[in-house]
Amino acid sequence: MYGMEYIKYGIAYITTYICFSNIRGEVMNRVQKTAGLLVVTISVGVTFSIAATSLLYVRLGMPRAWAGLAFLAVAGLGGLGPLVFKKDKGPVTCDERDRIINRRAALAAFTAAYLFVGLACMLPFFVLGPDGSISVTWLPMIFMGAGLITFFVHSAAILVQYGWRDKDGEN
Amino acid sequence: MGKTELTNQIRRLRFENGEMTQQQLADKVAVTRQTIIAIESGKYAPSLPLAFRIARAFDVPIEQVFQYEDK
Repeated sequence: MYGMEYIKYGIAYITTYICFSNIRGEVMNRVQKTAGLLVVTISVGVTFSIAATSLLYVRLGMPRAWAGLAFLAVAGLGGLGPLVFKKDKGPVTCDERDRIINRRAALAAFTAAYLFVGLACMLPFFVLGPDGSISVTWLPMIFMGAGLITFFVHSAAILVQYGWRDKDGEN
Repeated sequence: MGKTELTNQIRRLRFENGEMTQQQLADKVAVTRQTIIAIESGKYAPSLPLAFRIARAFDVPIEQVFQYEDK
């Protein structure tokens, strides 16, 4: 279970890094911090959910293994970002560059969600054939998955476009 | 079409204008300090209106602030 230890320390490091980035003199705006938190919480939530569901499936089988998905609640903690991180200082908190970055990130998120839903619809058709059927319980799962992918890709695209962190420029 | 690059003299102009800080310039042209940092380092090419606002903040023509060169 060394993997879990690495994940725990990884979360602690990234969260501390985000919270104290300003003290270290790096410029990171509120949107970046919120995006960073979302990437961490979604990654952790999904990883733990997959691990727990797999473990429960081996030990207890279905449908009890679905309880492992409860770890997805961790991903919901990312929604606390706007409450945790204070508003940026200065009279201007959002300008043309921020709007361009957000628009591109939204486009990337939409594309990812569209591909995910498309794949989720087409895969059973090709695997099971035209006469096959799947349980309707997969529909809320697809919906939830699309939501998670949208938030994850949007946040990751924001971080990538800002360059993860903009180094403090010389004054 | 050859590769082009937008260079700028913002850092030099800031120092020539009473050692203006990035935050002061950002406030003058109504953007965030992050954007000024990105423009100065050449990571972001500003819109034409913003480029004009920056030039006006230094009271110089726009071509003294930004240069467009074929690479």
